[in-house]
Amino acid sequence: MSQATIEKGINAFKEQIDAPVAAFFSSCVSCGMCAEACLFYTETGDPKYTPIHKLEPLRRVWEQEYTLTGKIKKLFGLTEAVTDRMLSEWQELLYDSCTMCARCSMVCPVGNDIAYMVRKAREGMVASGNAPEGVRMASTRAVRIGSPMGVKLTSLQAQIRHIEADTGLTIPIDVEGAEYMALLSSMEIMNFPEYIGGLAKIFAHAGISWTLCSTAFEATNSGIQIGSSDIARELVQRVVDGAERLKVRAVISPECGHAYTAIRWEGPNLVGRRFTFKVIHILELLDQLRASGRIRTEGLERECMTFHDPCSLVRKGGVIESPRNLMNMVTENFVELEEHGKWGWCCGGGGGVSSNEEAAGLRHKAFRRKKEQLEASGADALVTACANCRLVMEEGFEGYRVEMPILGLTELVADHLVTEEGSGEPPEKR
Amino acid sequence: MANSKTLGESLRRHGVTRRGFLKFCSATASLMALPPTMVPAIAAALERAKRPSVIWLSFQECTGCTESLTRSHAPTVESLIFDHVSLDYHHTLQVASGEAAEAAREAAMHENQGGYLLVVDGSIPLADPGYSTIAGISNVDMLRETAAGAAAIIAVGTCAAFGGLPKADPNPTGAVPVSEIIRDKPIVNVSGCPPIPVVITGVLAHFLTFGALPELDRYGRPMVFYGQSIHDRCYRRPFYDKGLFAETFDDEGARKGWCLYKMGCKGPMTYNACATAKWNNGTGWPVEAGHGCLGCSEPDFWDAGGFYNALSIPTSDVTGTVVTGAVAGAALGAAAALLNRGTQGEAREKHATVTVDDLEKGV
Repeated sequence: MSQATIEKGINAFKEQIDAPVAAFFSSCVSCGMCAEACLFYTETGDPKYTPIHKLEPLRRVWEQEYTLTGKIKKLFGLTEAVTDRMLSEWQELLYDSCTMCARCSMVCPVGNDIAYMVRKAREGMVASGNAPEGVRMASTRAVRIGSPMGVKLTSLQAQIRHIEADTGLTIPIDVEGAEYMALLSSMEIMNFPEYIGGLAKIFAHAGISWTLCSTAFEATNSGIQIGSSDIARELVQRVVDGAERLKVRAVISPECGHAYTAIRWEGPNLVGRRFTFKVIHILELLDQLRASGRIRTEGLERECMTFHDPCSLVRKGGVIESPRNLMNMVTENFVELEEHGKWGWCCGGGGGVSSNEEAAGLRHKAFRRKKEQLEASGADALVTACANCRLVMEEGFEGYRVEMPILGLTELVADHLVTEEGSGEPPEKR
Repeated sequence: MANSKTLGESLRRHGVTRRGFLKFCSATASLMALPPTMVPAIAAALERAKRPSVIWLSFQECTGCTESLTRSHAPTVESLIFDHVSLDYHHTLQVASGEAAEAAREAAMHENQGGYLLVVDGSIPLADPGYSTIAGISNVDMLRETAAGAAAIIAVGTCAAFGGLPKADPNPTGAVPVSEIIRDKPIVNVSGCPPIPVVITGVLAHFLTFGALPELDRYGRPMVFYGQSIHDRCYRRPFYDKGLFAETFDDEGARKGWCLYKMGCKGPMTYNACATAKWNNGTGWPVEAGHGCLGCSEPDFWDAGGFYNALSIPTSDVTGTVVTGAVAGAALGAAAALLNRGTQGEAREKHATVTVDDLEKGV
């Protein structure tokens, strides 16, 4: 069994520093605007949570290895080496207090993509053994068992039996040549199985062939969260293999933010080639079906509802309009949060923070931002499209004693589908 | 000299119509960036205002400031207002002389104790009080004595405001501005060599209307007049933005009215209202006449380099330097990139694939 060492960590930093990183570090004007964009800073007021400061180890390696002044300083011993001790100190900054929500990247006046650099800095943290235990365990389970929460195929099959009994619909598994292969997040399987039921209803309604894959049902990618391309690649490869084995036209990313980042954006770069299938987020697909009239809904939710933008999906993924179109399709009183869309505030649990027990206290503090935002909106119910956000917010509500139901957008749409005589039969295509 | 007539009566006696008066009030309001709703308040206050007693002291100065204010062409409402303040003491303008003149000053000070306005032009010599005396009294003593009972002080002209020409290097008389001697009275610096007449009347109108002085900038100048640079308000600014400059006073650019920056115009560092208020009843102003701004309303403008030296300008062969620099930079950049690529490549070669077995530190 090999081990993580500081040398490996420094080497990973050196490997990760590319032209954008060099340009970003040389462009930073230390204006501190990223601090005000970060909920870990705004909710604690502690300047150590200033996003660019979280990158100090990476910046120092860049200066020492890639700049002339840094090399001279190093020669004369005027700059301190990055040590294992420094990295363990920075664990809190690079993991506990960063969800890679990229709000800081949005405000940076010189265009530095800070979240991109945090993702890269985590490579060095992993290689040097400085990733938090909770996140390491999640990655280990993801690779060994197939899911960060340890959900096995048998657990999924058990849930499927319940859902089939409830809905009277079949949940197809391993159907070769199906149009779509749906991925699921463990949280959906264990905490929000109504998502799977919703999918079944929608596809039956729209007359679309779909399938789950027994070897690649898990969408979440712990490798992206812990920040290891090697682990992320292995997990993405499983999905690619599964989709190619079943010869599907497209893979559907579920209501999970970073899963979309993993499969849609990082995926092809990780495996080093184009996918033979398309990747689409469930909300994008639903919005397409809505626009083409293939799904029809009836009735509107009366309650005042608002939408929480999952960062990976909306700000980083660009799926901004689809959730709004769908919200307006099924609710009559949809209100936006004051800062929404690409300016939305993170739930505080993305980027691996929710699987990191050490970060629980900080996460609770940071959640105050979301809580106050929701209270100010006057909404009665909250809709979102990310199982992780949903679970984090449910826990947050628990901690702050807020009573507000949280719904998944897909299941909400599924609840409003027009039911025709002989329900279960797909309606005629138009 | 001082009588109890109100300003309104005085103006009417001189044939200023009600309409003309209100026009002046509106102009004052807009000039001083006050809301239009203030116009009636200004009119009412000015109408009722007692003619304020003004004592004008002239120290080390050239009388240019007085000339600027009094020789400004046909009487306008603002000049009338200025004429009809109760100017109880002013070297250049008063009829009295000798002891009678000094007696007038003392009488005005006594009658209006704590309520008169003190206007000062000229700087005050501290090296030797003998450099400038009036009726045997040194400037600094007269200033201290007269300032003691003043409601406020208006330092007119750059000499009184910042020291001006007398203070220019090497400052043989040890000249200082009013603000370095008097520290316990509100002081408004109306700088300029000379200042614009309307600024004086604007400050007076503000004082009469609100009983207070207008908002001041960091040099004690009224923000409304000194809030923006000449450069930002200059009608030649579009040429600067396009990079079109006159190089000499008789070239094509000068004839076409291009920017005078390269000929030493100090507009970018000078804050004054010349570009908008203009001079000589709105006829024109220095830049419009074809000469760069001297920066006369800024502290130490005499010592700010030559009047015809541009604020900053490249002195060498720009194109050649840029080309050489670009070539050298590109070569250095390429070398650095190559070197850095080597560093990164080395790191890549050393990369050991991370598996879940490698996540923990060695003991």
